[in-house]
Amino acid sequence: MPRASSKRKSSAPQNPPAVKSSNARSAGKAKAKEIENFFDKYANGGIIDPDGIVTLCKDLELEYTDVRILMLAWKLKAVKLGYFTQDEWETGLKTLQVNNLSKLKKAISELEKEVRTPPNFADFYSFAFRYHLTEEKQKNIDIETICELLNLVLGPQFRRQVDLLIDYLKVQSNYKVINLDQWLGIFRFCNEISFPDLENYDETQAWPLILDNFVDWLRENHR
Amino acid sequence: MSNQKKRNFQIEAFKHRVVVDPKYAEKTWKILEHAIHEIYNHNASGLSFEELYRNAYNMVLHKFGEKLYSGLVSTMTLHLKEISKSIEAAQGGSFLEELNRKWNDHNKALQMIRDILMYMDRTYIPSTHKTPVHELGLNLWRDNIVRSNKIQTRLLNTLLELVHRERTGEVINRGLMRNIIKMLMDLGPSVYQEDFEKPFLEVSAEFYKVESQKFIECCDCGEYLKKAERRLNEEMERVTHYLDAKSEAKITNVVEKEMIANHMPRLVHMDNSGLVNMLLDDKYEDLGRMYNLFRRVPSGLLTIREVMTSHLRETGKQLVTDPERLKDPVEFVQRLLDEKDKYDNIISSAFNNDKTFQNALNSSFEYFINLNPRSPEFISLFVDDKLRKGLKGVSEEDVETILDKVMMLFRYLQEKDVFEKYYKQHLAKRLLSGKTVSDDAERSLIVKLKTECGYQFTSKLEGMFTDMKTSQDTMHGFYASHPELGDSRTLVVQVLTTGSWPTQPSVTCNLPAEMSALCEKFRSYYLGTHTGRRLSWQTNMGSADIKATFGKGQKHELNVSTYQMCVLMLFNNADRLSYREIEQATEIPASDLKRCLQSLACVRGKNVLRKEPMSKDIGEDDAFFVNDKFTSKFYKVKIGTVVAQKESEPEKQETRQRVEEDRKPQIEAAIVRIMKSRRVLDHNNIIAEVTKQLQSRFLANPTEIKKRIESLIERDFLERDNVDRKLYRYLA
Repeated sequence: MPRASSKRKSSAPQNPPAVKSSNARSAGKAKAKEIENFFDKYANGGIIDPDGIVTLCKDLELEYTDVRILMLAWKLKAVKLGYFTQDEWETGLKTLQVNNLSKLKKAISELEKEVRTPPNFADFYSFAFRYHLTEEKQKNIDIETICELLNLVLGPQFRRQVDLLIDYLKVQSNYKVINLDQWLGIFRFCNEISFPDLENYDETQAWPLILDNFVDWLRENHR
Repeated sequence: MSNQKKRNFQIEAFKHRVVVDPKYAEKTWKILEHAIHEIYNHNASGLSFEELYRNAYNMVLHKFGEKLYSGLVSTMTLHLKEISKSIEAAQGGSFLEELNRKWNDHNKALQMIRDILMYMDRTYIPSTHKTPVHELGLNLWRDNIVRSNKIQTRLLNTLLELVHRERTGEVINRGLMRNIIKMLMDLGPSVYQEDFEKPFLEVSAEFYKVESQKFIECCDCGEYLKKAERRLNEEMERVTHYLDAKSEAKITNVVEKEMIANHMPRLVHMDNSGLVNMLLDDKYEDLGRMYNLFRRVPSGLLTIREVMTSHLRETGKQLVTDPERLKDPVEFVQRLLDEKDKYDNIISSAFNNDKTFQNALNSSFEYFINLNPRSPEFISLFVDDKLRKGLKGVSEEDVETILDKVMMLFRYLQEKDVFEKYYKQHLAKRLLSGKTVSDDAERSLIVKLKTECGYQFTSKLEGMFTDMKTSQDTMHGFYASHPELGDSRTLVVQVLTTGSWPTQPSVTCNLPAEMSALCEKFRSYYLGTHTGRRLSWQTNMGSADIKATFGKGQKHELNVSTYQMCVLMLFNNADRLSYREIEQATEIPASDLKRCLQSLACVRGKNVLRKEPMSKDIGEDDAFFVNDKFTSKFYKVKIGTVVAQKESEPEKQETRQRVEEDRKPQIEAAIVRIMKSRRVLDHNNIIAEVTKQLQSRFLANPTEIKKRIESLIERDFLERDNVDRKLYRYLA
């Protein structure tokens, strides 16, 4: 396998190395070419830009804001928000074993299940934040975007917590932005704290201050 | 022995001819028995000690010790029974006397008998493990007299009756008591304890229970304590006079329990005479008595301490939150000092300088002083007042005493950094207006603060003093290098190092022409010798003396602030000026200008200017004139306003905000310091450590610390542990 990869720009695919005949090697080469062509359909100047993604979404019959696009970005290990590089595309699609639109459609619905398994979901959740840091050295995301992200990413699983948290974030004035530490704290909070009674919330533990404030607000307003 | 016989001869023991007369023992015993009778009948003089001794000796030798011993027992018992009867027959008071007399007789008899029977005592008795003669005599006395049916109870009751009578004020025969008690003690510790001490303690407990109940109903606390003390002393005296020394602790325990321990709460909280009243009225004697009595019982001192602490806290809390008191900061602090003095005196005079009480005092003060967030400001104002005028004419020693007392209050402050901020402001005003009573006192206080809080606390303050000194030298140099200015020193400049003095926004105004030329000269002189520095005139902090001549020719020297000077100088060139004109000409900021004009035109006795209209407020269209009719008794009139005052509400908010801002980097520095050395630490421990490190400056808020930690996480100084969310890790 490694020998044949000189033609490809990617790392070794997930299939276990097996004795390949020249048939397989040419089949592999053909697949790569298909993926490349697939890429070129949406690419503009060697990279899929936001317009390209919009087109892709239309083809996939998904909204641009659908969480599954975000999941795709995660699977592709995309770095820049709104863009897929050729590398990311080709590597990702090979991992998904996809080389055309219909396969991609199917893969995406499978992807959703994959992402929601616990170890992957934690990674996905963290990715969601970092993916939205658009500027270099940016460490925070504004409250409005955070609310949308929370809704998108955590909403399905923790509807009640997320709704209340979004309410709170909108009315409080202490924080105008959220950082990664707080973002991760929110995830732990949803997973660990019983809701809505908040029985096991202990303020002396090292929860981010914004969550201490959230709990106080809940206790005051929603008893 | 014949001398013909030549044989080895053996030496044999000398054999005494034993008279094996079976009646021998009986006869000998009879002699001894008779002797014993005679001894008990006070007829011993006719007896031969040597003969009797020999007889006893022989009996024992010939193995009749048993007979001798049992005979002794029965004979003595016989006599004791007779004695018992005679004691029983005694009436009333003579009962004890009879008992005592017989006891003495018995002892004498016993001694003689023992002497006679000494050989038996030393040979037969040890080998048969029988009771020695003397002890036997005591035991027989005990069993036949003291513990006989008819005597035992009567004896006890008589003794207890006497004690009771003594307690109710009668005089009793102490010598007799002592002897009887001694008798009981001699008979063995268990006799004393069982037959006397135990019932004695029970009866005493009952007695004191009743008495204490009676007293507490009718006495006030002080009187009751006096009575309790008296009873206690009485009992101790009783013991020394006629009881076993070991009883002292036991009987004092009884009194302590019945009279003190059982009534402690009621005594302490007694209306109008309890502990609180004693504290309020400085009743040192009563307090001392209470202390000495209560320390004898478990939790006694604890009770006093608790009541004192809660009273102190309550009084202190009222003191610091009473709006009336807060009007005058100097009074406020003086009141605190007086309170401290009062309690220091109480603790030293009445409470034996007990350290636990001192600690309770300290913790109470710390509690209520910090209830009022303005305490740091007020203490600084107090010091300011003292250093301006309060310490005038006071001896050096007394100055030190006052400053030390202020330091004591300072130590109680939790927000020492707030104090520092105010102290700096007030010190600046004092130094710049030259209004300090004693340079030595100022420096002494700085030294005390340094000792208490370390170099960092006072380095800037010391910088201020240095600046003042340096400025003096600069002035010398300036005038020396400008001889054309002559001898009159019109301009005096103090050059302040920006970092050391309290920050002010620097706003300059237009100085009068006479001034600005001179100021420029100074500026170029200074910058000539100190290249690279920047000077900015702080026109809101200066003062001026100006000579003025008024309408009728009256001359005065006016001491004014720089702003006021600028305004007044304008009237050299104009008779009438409107507010707007003044504002334009001087460029003094509006709020300062208004205050300045008010002080020049609206204050009785200081109105060197006249305003139209005559209202108190300064309006934009108001016009100002020189007040030609101005008069003052004094040639020199002071109009300047550079005295430290307690802050207005908005000023207070601003200072508080600045303090909070200053705290943030200090908290962060502490967190980084701690994490750098510990590498990994959990949340609660960080909070504790940071609080401890910052304790000497202020009480750190855990929420604030948490905020700082999160900020440091965001800036990648720290990170959370992946597995244990409570742990933080230092990122090098």
